[in-house]
Amino acid sequence: MITVSDLSYAYKIGKKEKENIVPVLHHVDLHVAEGEIVAIVGRSGSGKSTLLNLISGFIRPQTGEIIIDGKKVSGFSESKWAEFRLEHLGFIFQSFQLIPSMTAYENVELPLVLKGVSEKDRGEQTIKMLKRVGLEQYQSHYPGELSGGQQQRVSIARALILNPPLILADEPTGSLDSENEKELLNFIQELNEKDGITFLIITHDHEVASIAHRKVEIRDGYLREGSKLHEVQR
Amino acid sequence: MKFKDKHRFVRSNMKRNKTSVWMTILASTIGCAFLIMLASVGFAIHKTAVDDVMSYRLMNEIEIQSENGPLIEEDVKKLQDIKNVKAVSRKKYVPANELSLGEYTGYADVSSANIPSERKAGLQLEKGRMPKSKNEIIIGYHFAQELRKEMPENFTEGMSEEEAQKKMKKLAYDGDLLNKTLTYHMKVDNPEIKTKTQINTVQVKVVGIKEKPKKEWMTDSSVMITDDLHNEVMTLLSEIDPELKNSDDSYSSVKVYTSSAEDVKAVSEKIKGKGYLTYSVVSELKELNIYFTLFKAGLIFIGGIAVLIASIGIFNTMTMAVTERSQDIGIMKAIGATPKTIKRIFLLESGYIGLWGVGLGTILAYVISYGVNFALPIIVEQFMNEKPPEDFILSYIPWSLTVIAVTICMSVTLLSGWRPAAKATTVDVLKALRRDV
Repeated sequence: MITVSDLSYAYKIGKKEKENIVPVLHHVDLHVAEGEIVAIVGRSGSGKSTLLNLISGFIRPQTGEIIIDGKKVSGFSESKWAEFRLEHLGFIFQSFQLIPSMTAYENVELPLVLKGVSEKDRGEQTIKMLKRVGLEQYQSHYPGELSGGQQQRVSIARALILNPPLILADEPTGSLDSENEKELLNFIQELNEKDGITFLIITHDHEVASIAHRKVEIRDGYLREGSKLHEVQR
Repeated sequence: MKFKDKHRFVRSNMKRNKTSVWMTILASTIGCAFLIMLASVGFAIHKTAVDDVMSYRLMNEIEIQSENGPLIEEDVKKLQDIKNVKAVSRKKYVPANELSLGEYTGYADVSSANIPSERKAGLQLEKGRMPKSKNEIIIGYHFAQELRKEMPENFTEGMSEEEAQKKMKKLAYDGDLLNKTLTYHMKVDNPEIKTKTQINTVQVKVVGIKEKPKKEWMTDSSVMITDDLHNEVMTLLSEIDPELKNSDDSYSSVKVYTSSAEDVKAVSEKIKGKGYLTYSVVSELKELNIYFTLFKAGLIFIGGIAVLIASIGIFNTMTMAVTERSQDIGIMKAIGATPKTIKRIFLLESGYIGLWGVGLGTILAYVISYGVNFALPIIVEQFMNEKPPEDFILSYIPWSLTVIAVTICMSVTLLSGWRPAAKATTVDVLKALRRDV
């Protein structure tokens, strides 16, 4: 599903004349198979979020190659990336990233709107998805009127609405209490088992990492898949 | 993303920022209305000038003169042979201009005319008919007012102008002249000619009265006689003034009428080709139009500055909207909105602001224009004790001005919304998600 080869990235900090280059990732190789749940763990500042942002297309690699679902995405233009994200990727963020001026229904519906799905089909699919995450009765609520757990479920519904084969999750339980965290992890497992969705989860939480088929550690920007030191079979 | 969804999206965003959006719309409305109103003054003056030119002459009329002197019958024949010439009106001036009815005497511009040609040229009668025999004449609509009783000496002395006019009105003929027989006096307006004690007269019958001139301030006191009567009158007059005996058979005025206004240019060229000089309202209008087109363009340019100022408001509102919605834009980009979609949403929003501004501005301009044209004559009459010229308008908004104004306003609006829309596409997803923008 995902193949990352020799991926390096360095942040440029400061003004042009006094630019500091801070290397974050060094020659990273990673392979995620279809149907896998892979957790990338590591300390704060280790480069795990940068890796996810590169795989999401939010930033561009300076060297290396990323292939997702058979497509070499590392050379995509911004527009191509946007289209690819819409069709192939689902996102779960730590801070949910819902649009505050839109209701739960409108937030979930948004990817369908961007894809140009007809209003009738959108309605059916959105209600079905809200039912699936148990928020049908909250469809007209705004994010500010929902609890953290409910907001995360809305964001999951939005991530799933276009049936993406891959979901990228950045600290998905970071803003949740233990009860909601447990619920979310069960749901991720259910989606993986029933729908065959591949998950790449960035976390520093061992509880979250425990549901992964594989755990890959990233330390000071170095990661080597298959290394016994950094890779722990579940 | 479908247009309907973009529209819905934009509408909900506009609703959220009602106050700033409406203030921007108001600025655009005033800018657009100012542009239209300012230009409408130019259009009104142009229209008044054109109407003024047209009120004196017909569009399909061409005045003909020759460098070799007055035109004669041979010239008329040449002109009649030209394609698309509907009629050739020719008139001969008659030196005798005194006519009377009983104790009433009047003076008029008397000319002879070829009646069939005049009919073809479009001569219309208010009442009566065209002359059929030699001593039948047609008079102008206001000729009756020229017939007055003889004024006693010092009749208006010591009177104000208003009083004198009132008194003189009482001396004027107040009746219908149709079918009345007038006495045409064979007098010549030449101080060198000693007046005979016995003056020849000719009895003429009024058979037709020309239609009222289209403008209220125009008067028509002319008298039109037949060619046959002209010959008789000239014979009698030459007895008094022998010089008139030598007067040739030339016309004092020759006018060509084309089948339609579109033919004027081509016919004029052909007439010029035959060695004549021409003058038509079309050529006068051409010069007039060039001058007024420049004048109107200048006014539109000045009005455009107001639109430009209003566009700064749109630019500001849209830039604020992009800044305020950076997080939303980032989220949308993250889940798959293309830069093109984002750009179109913001362009649509500025387009809607412009459209509302243009729509309301145009309506406002029409209302002000109507109000000004309605109120101005009343104000002028009230405060200046003078009536403005008939048909005078201060503001005129033709559809072409509306089209020009709408095009300018919408173009400026879209241009001012372009930069903020382009800025929206450059919102950094990561910064937006981190709430760093």
